[in-house]
Amino acid sequence: MSPTTTTIPAPMPRVGPIRSGTRRMRYDGALAPVLAFVVFFGVYLAVNPGLLTRFQLQSAANLIAPLALIALGQLLIVLIGGIDISIGAITSLCNVVFATQIAGLSAPGALLACIAVGVLCGAINGVLVAYVNLPAIAVTLATAFIYAALARQILDRPGGALSSEIYQVTSGELVPFVPIALVWVALIATGLWLFLQRTAFGRQVYGVGSGRAAVQSAGLKPRLTILVTFMVSGGIVSLGAVLLAGSTLTGDPRSGDPYLLNSIAVVALSGAAFAGGRGSILGTVLAAAVLGMVGNLLFFAGINSYWQYVISALIILAVVVIPRVGQFVIQQSALRRGHHE
Amino acid sequence: MSDTQTVVAEDATEGSPSAQSGLARLVSRMPRAGWGIAIFIALFVIGGLLRPSLFTLPGLISTATFAAILAVASYGQTIAVIQGGIDLSVPNTIAFAALGFLTWNASFGPVIALLLALAGGLVIGIVNGVIVAKVGLTPIVTTIAMNGLLFGVVLLNFPLSELTVVPDLVTSFTSARVDLAGLQIAIVLPMALLLMLLLQAVLSYTGWGRSLFLVGSREDAARLAGQPVARIRISGYALSGLLAAFAGIVIVGYYSQAETTMGNSYLLGSVAAVIVGGASMFGGRGSMVGTFVGALVLGQVATLVAVFNLGATMQNLIYGLIILAVLAAYGRDRT
Repeated sequence: MSPTTTTIPAPMPRVGPIRSGTRRMRYDGALAPVLAFVVFFGVYLAVNPGLLTRFQLQSAANLIAPLALIALGQLLIVLIGGIDISIGAITSLCNVVFATQIAGLSAPGALLACIAVGVLCGAINGVLVAYVNLPAIAVTLATAFIYAALARQILDRPGGALSSEIYQVTSGELVPFVPIALVWVALIATGLWLFLQRTAFGRQVYGVGSGRAAVQSAGLKPRLTILVTFMVSGGIVSLGAVLLAGSTLTGDPRSGDPYLLNSIAVVALSGAAFAGGRGSILGTVLAAAVLGMVGNLLFFAGINSYWQYVISALIILAVVVIPRVGQFVIQQSALRRGHHE
Repeated sequence: MSDTQTVVAEDATEGSPSAQSGLARLVSRMPRAGWGIAIFIALFVIGGLLRPSLFTLPGLISTATFAAILAVASYGQTIAVIQGGIDLSVPNTIAFAALGFLTWNASFGPVIALLLALAGGLVIGIVNGVIVAKVGLTPIVTTIAMNGLLFGVVLLNFPLSELTVVPDLVTSFTSARVDLAGLQIAIVLPMALLLMLLLQAVLSYTGWGRSLFLVGSREDAARLAGQPVARIRISGYALSGLLAAFAGIVIVGYYSQAETTMGNSYLLGSVAAVIVGGASMFGGRGSMVGTFVGALVLGQVATLVAVFNLGATMQNLIYGLIILAVLAAYGRDRT
């Protein structure tokens, strides 16, 4: 396209909401995890139809919900082309803040304190990444040490003052067969989706990840976008920490540790691009459901549950690698056809 | 990952060289490991002023011995970071090599067990490298998946009850004492220093080492220059895996105990040592000497915290602040 010729783009053919939604999901890499989820739950129900009973549904929901929320927090950082190594430490810190503050403040007060801590943690990361120009992976490595230290300072062994009412609100049942944890995840995920897809600011989050220079040239403020993204991520992680505290009824300064690697694994399975700019909320939630349930599936299938680590890794590799290999094969065969003609 | 973090240079306030004062120019020319050495000396002097018993050669050596083990575990990470990646499979490669070595030692004897454990690390690294370089998966995702996979393999394969006897072959290069100028030194310290010099020589003076830096800083330029980028990356991860496996054997030899979670503290610890040593997480920058110095700094913090009985909380807090300080000093390249 030389600068002298002006091409008027042909109007895009209007497509229905379902077509455009599918197109969007394919762009964000969500089709593979959705497919994996369907297959996985087909297998799960075949092995253990008991999942659909009240008790099992509820315990499964409580297993998935914190992972899903924390992974959504990680997804936001991945969308802007970064990675959050401190996410496990933020989870631990928010978890102990909620569990200890609930004694003095009432539950809403503790919730607000917990969210404030999460947002503040995100803000510190965000300022250092956006305004001091440090690489996200190194900044969050440093703050991971700091946040984990603070968590252990607040509460150095599992404990806290959580009551069974908290369990009812975070991890009980809303009505029979509807675990409330899933309701919270659905509400938060929908809110996040509206923020990312239906607000101008949310579109900037994707924009910063796929072309930061372009966002800047358009007169927008990529630094502010990065800062706000880190803060929103911290807020969502803090909500995940609340669900975690509610379902276990303990505050634990090490409770967030497994979520560092697990949240990254979920985001990888969701098909998001770690270079930034592509990632799906639905894909992330479903990927969390799959990876969160592998251990349970093996338990019901009567297989040594240590296999879950191997199988989780293989699921990630299969879902992420097979589409790439497929693409490669199609490309090669197209090249070969072109060569023969 | 690096490209997306490249910012439009709106605040690259790079003054002309003449405008800089002599001191600023001196500081900017200081090799990066120098900052780590400066921090270490500062910490050592502070510790010595507060507690004179620390200001002695034996005090220095006990810190350096602790640092040597962390350094050995971080050498592989250094290679992964230099080529623009990261190796998060270090913890369970350590566990795999250590537990595998002890298990195989019982049936095949120490020499074959050692070779098998190292070969295992090599294979782990090669698989990482092939997935990163040929399939194009992000290093973070690849190595996290590998780390999870190895955890399962370790839990499934290595019985834990009989793992206490460490053969002499391994203690001879880890926990054995040597007499050096009247001082008792665990041999792991000179061994780690020797390994550092060897690896640094490979990085600095071989074609492979130089091309590793090129691939890490400008992959497209390396490709245009005709470098076999994929092969360099795969061999880099292979060496990284091999060194992590070696670290597992060193750790089991020095502490003479092994368990499935023994590598976990090296997940963030190895990356921290590499960063404090002056490597860039964007790739293309880093050195083995720097990594050893980084491990020394973290080791000195651990010593001070232990002597003044401040607890693990304070240790983590100081680790975080030191990493931030080092990043602020020179983490802002390419922006």
